[in-house]
Amino acid sequence: MNALSPALAKKRVLVCVGSGGVGKTTVSATLALRAAVDGRSSLVCTIDPARRLANSLGLHTLGNVEAEVPASALAPLGVSPKSRLHAMMLDMKQTWDDLVTRYAPPDKRERILANRFYQSLSSALAGSQEYIAMEKLWELRTQRDYELIVLDTPPTAHALDFLEAPNRVLDFLDNEAARKLLTPALAAGKLGLSLFSLGSSYMAKTLSKLTGAETLQELANFLLAIAPMNESFRDRARGVRELLEAEQTGFVLVTSPGRERLDEVVHFHRLLKQHRMEVVALVVNRVHPMPRPELWEEAKQLTPTRRAKVEETLRELEVLAIQDAAGLAALRAACPETPLIQVPRFDLDVHDIAALWRTGRFLLGDEQLPPPPPAPPVDAERLREPRLPD
Amino acid sequence: MAGLLDKRLWIVSGKGGVGKSTIAAALALRSARAGRRTLVCEVNTQERVSLLLGHPPAGPEVTKLEENLWSVDVRPQEAMREYVLMVLRFETLYKTVFENRLVRYFLRFIPSLQELVLLGKILYHAQERRPDGSPVWDTLVMDAPATGHAIAFLRVPQVLLQTVPPGPMSREAMKMRDILEDPATTAAVLVSLPEEMPVNETLELHSALKEQVRVRTHAAVLNAAFPERFTADDLEALVEHPELLHVARSHHDRAAQTVLAQVKLERNLQTPVYQVPRIFASSFGREAIEQVMGHLDSLVTGKEGT
Repeated sequence: MNALSPALAKKRVLVCVGSGGVGKTTVSATLALRAAVDGRSSLVCTIDPARRLANSLGLHTLGNVEAEVPASALAPLGVSPKSRLHAMMLDMKQTWDDLVTRYAPPDKRERILANRFYQSLSSALAGSQEYIAMEKLWELRTQRDYELIVLDTPPTAHALDFLEAPNRVLDFLDNEAARKLLTPALAAGKLGLSLFSLGSSYMAKTLSKLTGAETLQELANFLLAIAPMNESFRDRARGVRELLEAEQTGFVLVTSPGRERLDEVVHFHRLLKQHRMEVVALVVNRVHPMPRPELWEEAKQLTPTRRAKVEETLRELEVLAIQDAAGLAALRAACPETPLIQVPRFDLDVHDIAALWRTGRFLLGDEQLPPPPPAPPVDAERLREPRLPD
Repeated sequence: MAGLLDKRLWIVSGKGGVGKSTIAAALALRSARAGRRTLVCEVNTQERVSLLLGHPPAGPEVTKLEENLWSVDVRPQEAMREYVLMVLRFETLYKTVFENRLVRYFLRFIPSLQELVLLGKILYHAQERRPDGSPVWDTLVMDAPATGHAIAFLRVPQVLLQTVPPGPMSREAMKMRDILEDPATTAAVLVSLPEEMPVNETLELHSALKEQVRVRTHAAVLNAAFPERFTADDLEALVEHPELLHVARSHHDRAAQTVLAQVKLERNLQTPVYQVPRIFASSFGREAIEQVMGHLDSLVTGKEGT
C-alpha cells in the first residue's frame, strides 16, 4: 500500500508525465496492468512504445484503436486478471485528421486537410502532440467505459508545452491577432483574399516583408476555412481542461534520480500544482540501491583477482547509490507534500511482462527501497527557485 | 578516418537522457584545446554545457567561457529580434511592429517560424566571417534537441520550402538547407546508450537525418559503456555466493549489452562507434567531462590510438 494504491483503485484517469527517457511508458503500462489484475477494466494509451512492450502484452503491433491484451500474455505471471486490459498507441496525425473529418463542414473538409498550414499544425506546431494526446484522452474518457485510463505522454522538452498546449492550439485556431491583422479580407469573408486587401493593413504589410505576402494570405485562407470548427474545438478544449483538473484525474510525475533531471522535475511539479492538477505521486525510476555492507565481508573469501573485480563493482554501485540518494533527498525536500515512490534499476531493460510486474510491486509498495536520508537544508533552499544544476 | 576537426558544424543529438550535453561539452572542450575558436550552441533549453564545464550559465549572448571556447543559449525571443532586424534592417520598425502585443502573439503561430529563427541564428554563426573572409568560428557545436524534436527542428528549412511560397522566409530556408546538407561543413554525432531503446532510436535518428535532412552521421558515441570484467569462470566460481553472483552477473550482462549495442550500431550506421565508459564520480562536473573528453580524442582529431 502506498499513495498510488488508492489512486489506482479510484481514479478514472492517470496521466504519466515527465521528461524523455525516464521510463514513462513502462510506468504507464504497469499501472494499467495492475489495475486490470485488481479488477478494474483498464486502458493504457501510449506514445511510441518499444516494440517489445507491445509484444510483451501479446500484441504484435499497437495502433490508433484499442486492442485487448490476451489472457495468454498475462499467463506467465500466474495471476488471472479480474478485469480486461486494453492497450493502444496514439497516432497523432490520424487523430487530428479524424477530428477534422468529424467537425469540419463537409464542403471545407478536403480543403482543410490539404492546407499546408493544417499539415504543419498537425505535425509540427510545438505543443500540438501534447494537445492531441489530451484530446484523445478526453474522447476516450467520454466515449468509452473503461474504469481507468492511463495516458502516457510525449517526451516533453518543456513542461509548459504540455500544460499550455490546449490554450496554444486554441489560440492558433481562434486568433484575435490574426483577425485584427487580416481584418479587411476576413471580414469580407472572401476566400480569394487579394494581396491588395491584405496590404491595406500597415501591420500586415510589415509582417509580409518577413514572411512573404503569400504566406500571410494562405494563413488567412486557412483561418477562414477552419473558422466554423472553432466552436467545437473550444468546447472540447474546455472539456479537456476540466477533465485534467477533475477529482477523478491524477498525475503521476515520473523521473530518474539523476541530478541532471532534478531541476526539470521540480519545475514540472510546481507548474502542475499551479495549474491545479493533482500530483498523486512522484515516481523515481531506476534507483540504484546501496549494496549491503555484508557483501564486502563476503567478498574477502574470494581469490584475490575475483575479490578485486567484485570490490570494484561494489564500489561503483556505491557511488551510484550515493548519487541517487542525494538526488532523492533533494527531490523530497523540494516537493515535501507529494509522496515519493522509488523503483529500483533492474538489471536489464524492462520490457517483458514479468519485469512489468516487478515494476508494479515497487510502484504499489508491495516492495520498497529504503527512504532517502534527509537532505542538507541548503539543497532544499536551492531548489525552491528555478536554478541550474551544479 | 577524418576527424571531426575537418568539419565546422557538429550536430550532437540522441534520445533524451543519453548524455547529449555531456558529449557536446566534451567535444567542444576538445576542439578548443586543439586551438580552434569554438562556439557551443544550446537550443532553447535548460542550459547545461557551461555548467558542466564549471562556468556560470552563458545566457542568450555569446559568452566566453575559457580560452578558445564560447557558449550561447539560443532562445526564441532574442533570436526572433535578431532575425527581424536582419531582414527589415530598421530598429524603429521592429519596435513599432514586432513589439506590438498582437503581432508578437500572431508570430507564434506562423508555423515553424520559431524553429526557423533558432536554427537560423545558429547557422548565421556558422557563416560569420571576419573582414579578411576567414570564418569567425572554427567549430560550432550544436547541442541539438532530443531525437523527435531534433528531426522536427533540423527539418524546418525543408518544411518551409514545401509550405511557404517563395519569399524572404523561403530564401532563408534555402540558405540554411544548403549549410546543413554540405558534407564538407556539417557532421552529426549521435549519442546512444548500451540499451535497446536508445540504440533503436539512434538508428531511427540516423535514417531520418539521412533521408529527411540529408545530414551525414559522422560517428556514434556509445555513452555509459560497461567494460568486460567477469569471465564465465568468474561467474561459475561465485555460485556459492548468490548475492555477489548477482552483482557480478548484472555487470556481466551490461557489458554484454555494450558489445551488442556496439555491433548493432556499427553494422547499421556504417560509421565508427566510440565508447565512453560509465563515469563513476560522486559529482558530475568539469573533472568528469575531462575524463569523457579523453575517450573522444580520436573522434575529434581522426588520429588513432591516443
